[in-house]
Amino acid sequence: MALQHFDATYSAQLGALWPSIRVALLSERKYGALLNHFSHNLDVEELQAQGCKDFISNGEGKPEEDSSSVSTVTHGGGSRQPSPLRLSPNIRCLVFPRGDITRFRPARPDKFGLLSYYLLDAASILPCLALDVQESHTVLDLCAAPGGKALVLLQTQSVRFLCANDLSVSRTSRLKRVLQSYVPKALLTDDKLRITSFDGTIWGEIERNAFDRVLVDVPCTTDRHSLMEDDNNIFSRSRVGERRSLPQLQAELLLAGILATCPGGDVLYSTCTLSANQNQAVVQQAVQLAEEQHGIQLQVISLCPLAQMFSNTFHFAPNLHLGEMVIPHLAANFGPIYLCKLRRLT
Amino acid sequence: MEMVWISSNLPSSLSCRLLCSVSNLTPSLLQHNKRNSAELSLRSLLDMGFTEYQAEQLYDSVSRMKGGNAAKHVLSTLSVLFVLGLNPTTVHKLLDKCPELYTVKDVQLQQRITQLRHLGLVEGSLQRTVSHYPKILTVPMKSVKSVVQFLREKCLFTTQQVAEILRDSPAVVLEDLDQLEYKFQYVYFRMGVKQAEMVKCRLFRFSLDNVRCRHTFLERRGLYQTPDKKGQTTIINPKLDGILNVDEGTFTADVAQASPEEYDVFQKLLAREWKEEEFEHGSGVIRLKCDDVRVTLTHTASDVDGAIWFFDF
Repeated sequence: MALQHFDATYSAQLGALWPSIRVALLSERKYGALLNHFSHNLDVEELQAQGCKDFISNGEGKPEEDSSSVSTVTHGGGSRQPSPLRLSPNIRCLVFPRGDITRFRPARPDKFGLLSYYLLDAASILPCLALDVQESHTVLDLCAAPGGKALVLLQTQSVRFLCANDLSVSRTSRLKRVLQSYVPKALLTDDKLRITSFDGTIWGEIERNAFDRVLVDVPCTTDRHSLMEDDNNIFSRSRVGERRSLPQLQAELLLAGILATCPGGDVLYSTCTLSANQNQAVVQQAVQLAEEQHGIQLQVISLCPLAQMFSNTFHFAPNLHLGEMVIPHLAANFGPIYLCKLRRLT
Repeated sequence: MEMVWISSNLPSSLSCRLLCSVSNLTPSLLQHNKRNSAELSLRSLLDMGFTEYQAEQLYDSVSRMKGGNAAKHVLSTLSVLFVLGLNPTTVHKLLDKCPELYTVKDVQLQQRITQLRHLGLVEGSLQRTVSHYPKILTVPMKSVKSVVQFLREKCLFTTQQVAEILRDSPAVVLEDLDQLEYKFQYVYFRMGVKQAEMVKCRLFRFSLDNVRCRHTFLERRGLYQTPDKKGQTTIINPKLDGILNVDEGTFTADVAQASPEEYDVFQKLLAREWKEEEFEHGSGVIRLKCDDVRVTLTHTASDVDGAIWFFDF
């Protein structure tokens, strides 16, 4: 079902790119290993010996991590512009080289029971990097479950306070377990972490102008997952209504996230779908609503420097007029991930 | 009774015997050789028409073989090949390519040749097939019969088509019947290709993995569709010939419109997928996933004659 739908919409939307994306989506995905700073990484040397590299420090040009300075991205030769883009610090993610299909073994716990790495789609790290969490920021992760991105944010060790929310109670339980497997209890105390199960769309009524950084990683058609799993598939007939109203829900969530952000703060919208209806269209809708209903002015922050920096690891869709999108490719079978960064000017 | 295709290179000691039918010819020819040359010698080889170099080579090969039996019936074996109409140079090349032939008894050899004739390998084709693939004569008649029976009764190839398959892809007689079955089912059901086209493209020359890999690559790229129950597709599928009978570079670039890197990685991924599927399901079950339709064909691996093909949708 999902495949028929994608063939119909994406061949038009993505054109000549679609066959390569399609075969990658239908083949085994590639993982990255997010290194856990809180654990003694015995496994890391082993992985590196197998040829893994941290894609973040191996980008084209070094990311500027010192948050106190105005950063530029340095690069070896070439005529690229210095970039004003900063990235969240201290995040490391190992990946096998391009074309290498070796799988990661499951992580092992250290003597405190903390796991040494978390396996996830390496492209999922990009929204967290782009969010640019700086020292002592308060961060809201509006749709946090199952917790991979929340874990990435905690790795920065720059978060003064993280609020991780998800609509589903069962999913927030899973989120709790994930964090407990990776982060020492001392860093999970109430003054540092709050886990909630609210409907994210009403956040504007709970807390406004409260967070330095907000991550809105919305529920979407999860393209890759929908192709491979039949259970409770969002493309099944019983879920047509739900699927059709996704863009509406996504816009509401993004708007709520915008409302929760402090003026001057940043919001990062991300999905794992290729669909422009759930990506660019939603951002445009939310930006418009923020202005019309709340008088909030937003600036789109270009993620082009980020895409350039990591083009040696990921394939990015060319010529996206708003945001960036990692597209699956057999030699770099990550994604799909869409991301767009907004700054609250007022 | 068939006429023998006579090669003009035969020495005079043999040629006078070659004006009658094959069935009459062989026993007397063998007797003649038995009477005249019980021992293999360079002289007898030269008499048969081999050059000095060829004769020495042959003599050496046979001498190096274990057991005295080889030497004893080599001459008769060689005679059968000459009677088939092959010239000494061809015979020499044959034996070089396929030394197992030395160990085949002349009677057996003749029987196998006769079987191939009965299966439709006519003069010209027969000789060409044997000289390109001499191994076919080392295969027991029973095996050849199983394969032919399988092709006719289970795959519904016509007699003519079976002859063409034997002619173009003689290695098919050595192929494992399970593999053969899978290959046929895959191409017939999953790719929607019928017998005539299979024969025309010389399908049986290609390994199952090769066929599956190229097809799956196209399918996942959205460039090949399994025909529905009415035999229809919403796109035009590339022809089997254009998929198989081109080198990898051309296939990847022109048919699949992909980069070599993509096909490289894909082959690795697919090989791993198959290995894990085999491990999960065992090789007796063939799963042909066609997008929305899951067709599972099962068969009893060891019993081709009694095999039933049934479908679960």
